[in-house]
Amino acid sequence: MSVLASLLTPALFEATVRLATPVSLAALAAVISERSGVTNIAMEGIMLVGAFAAAWGGWHFGNPWIGLCCGVGAGALFSLFFAWSVVSLRINQVVAGAIMNILGFGLTRYLMMVVYGRQGTSEAVPRTLQECRFAIPLLSRIPYVGSALFDQTPVVYLSLLSVIGFAWLFKRTRLGLSIEASGEHPMALETLGRSVVRVRYLAIVLGGALCGLAGAFLSIENSNSFTEGMSGGRGFIALAANIAGGWRPVGAFAAALFFGFVDALQLRIQGLGIVKVASEIFLVFPYLATLAAVAGFVRKSRPPAALGRNFSVEHPED
Amino acid sequence: MRRVRAVLRIVAVLLALAGGGLYLASYFRGGCLLLGALLAWGFERRLALGADFGARVRALARRAAVPAAGIAAALLIGAAIMALTGYSPLASYEALFYGGFVRNWHISVLNAVPLVFTGLAIAFGFHGGLFNIGAEGQYLVGVMAATWLGIGMGLPPLVGMALIFLVGALAGAATNLVPALLKVKTGAHEVVTTMMFAYAIRTLAPIFIRAHGGDPANTAHPYVTDAVAEGVWLPLFKDFLPEANYRLHVGILLAVACAFLVHFVLTRTDLGYRIRAVGANATAARTQGISVAWITTLSLLGSGALAACAGITQVLGLDHRMFQNLDAGYGWNGISIALLARNHPLAIPFTALLWGVLDAGGQYMARTVQTPNAIIEIVKGILLFLLLAEVIYEKFGTILRDRLKGLLDRKREVRS
Repeated sequence: MSVLASLLTPALFEATVRLATPVSLAALAAVISERSGVTNIAMEGIMLVGAFAAAWGGWHFGNPWIGLCCGVGAGALFSLFFAWSVVSLRINQVVAGAIMNILGFGLTRYLMMVVYGRQGTSEAVPRTLQECRFAIPLLSRIPYVGSALFDQTPVVYLSLLSVIGFAWLFKRTRLGLSIEASGEHPMALETLGRSVVRVRYLAIVLGGALCGLAGAFLSIENSNSFTEGMSGGRGFIALAANIAGGWRPVGAFAAALFFGFVDALQLRIQGLGIVKVASEIFLVFPYLATLAAVAGFVRKSRPPAALGRNFSVEHPED
Repeated sequence: MRRVRAVLRIVAVLLALAGGGLYLASYFRGGCLLLGALLAWGFERRLALGADFGARVRALARRAAVPAAGIAAALLIGAAIMALTGYSPLASYEALFYGGFVRNWHISVLNAVPLVFTGLAIAFGFHGGLFNIGAEGQYLVGVMAATWLGIGMGLPPLVGMALIFLVGALAGAATNLVPALLKVKTGAHEVVTTMMFAYAIRTLAPIFIRAHGGDPANTAHPYVTDAVAEGVWLPLFKDFLPEANYRLHVGILLAVACAFLVHFVLTRTDLGYRIRAVGANATAARTQGISVAWITTLSLLGSGALAACAGITQVLGLDHRMFQNLDAGYGWNGISIALLARNHPLAIPFTALLWGVLDAGGQYMARTVQTPNAIIEIVKGILLFLLLAEVIYEKFGTILRDRLKGLLDRKREVRS
């Protein structure tokens, strides 16, 4: 019992939320993009671009909020290129995503040399978003989870809000219905006089903005500078969270939280030195959970019917 | 006539072999011989095809036009980016090509060896309609299998090597067993399953390295396993060509042979026909009585085995141990190689070599003229994008044709 008590501290829950935040944001991006029928493996590259832009904006203007806007804007702009290649040029979506990752990695590495004249880590921003931490009165007093959820930094709040916003979008709005139709039966949407192209562009760019936010979290909230390749595979874990969460915003958030919890637990166990297990064992968990989810072990969930298929009115069979 | 053709054919093969070997030692002499081989082969084809020859050449040129235009355009865009950010494009490209083709040619070849195998792996999957995006994982499995067997190998060299290749390839194939079963039984998409396997294997790999002599505390050589037995190291070119670089191993010959083998299997065997039939149209293949599930499983397993061969060759030929540079990305780059070659097995050695040249030249460029070699990644990305965005060419082609037509018409009008 005492071992459990020493493990399940408020600090553990806080670490869980912080580790889950970038994954959850990118997973929401995957949800909206895939629900609209576009397979998205480009989150990794978009996150890197967002992280770099945020670090550059925060450093150049000296204000973390401008940095945040730069990160979100760069993510949206970069994903516009992805939208153009898959929706307008109809390149294979997985391949286009892989190209985006190559470009995102190369571009940030190149710009590091151009802007900062060095490799590795960028100049530190004068002020980080970590300093803008604020507690919500009353709610933050809830034992255990209160401080983890309601005494946090801005991007964490934004990520919680976007989960609620996305759930509402898909449940209650016309746009949500259009996105869903575009992923399930694009021709039906087109027949109703709504443009599949426009819906998919919107979904991808909205997702890109969220990935940019995730990147900003990594560079100017969780740290104070940009490091090459700092997304560290989170984009792919986000894809895993999206699938394990059954292509639903709340499900994806729960999966991201769960992966964050396993990660936090692993760090804590290593720190306490309770059990001698290679730390890598814990880190494969997201991947195994995803395999279980796609194999149908977890529960009945299926991908959108038109996922991965490019659409054009002239050749609806492609 | 027939005798002339036979002689030409033999001359071409001999010149190609001699030129290929010599090129590794002396670029100019080797290059001349290779050019001679190409000429002899051209004459042979000319004699064999007669009047069809021109049409064939034109068709080949048309097929090569898009890749060539893409490479040129990507280099131009790369030059524009460099010029905009204050680096000299001319000096950079000069260093890039001097480094990649001349100065560090051996590094280009060494880079290309694993890429040929992973490119073949991805292309093999594509022919069966499968996207084995997790080749990186199977590559690592090949590396681990070769290291594990090689460390204590006491068998005679050739037997030992054959055993390592056999077991390693089987291990790579076995990696894809679960994705294949999931694909066949539940329809789970192989892009998701193989990618998840790749990441799981990549995450667990340090455990293997630590278990086989890797010491995380040793900072001089972070995470390196013990070396494999010297008996199973692949022979070096230096052993029979004194002028060759001391690191160049015969893996490139294995890789090219493997490309021919894959081409042969895909185009000349019953199995290859079935694989391509399933890849082209699974429903049609099923009505023909082909077992789609069985062929899908075989394609994924074959793809895994090929990707594992990349890792095995890398360990036995170059590294002789497993490094912790787990992010070398040969598996991911294999996707680019296969796409660039349009999945043609015989084109893959060339595209792999192009990638190898860009990597080796990029490093040389960064060292000598200080242009960041990340520009190479950007150029690669743009190149892939340009080659796949066929719509652009269709549009450009139509616009260009219309313009030309308009010009010609106007000329005609002026004349009349």
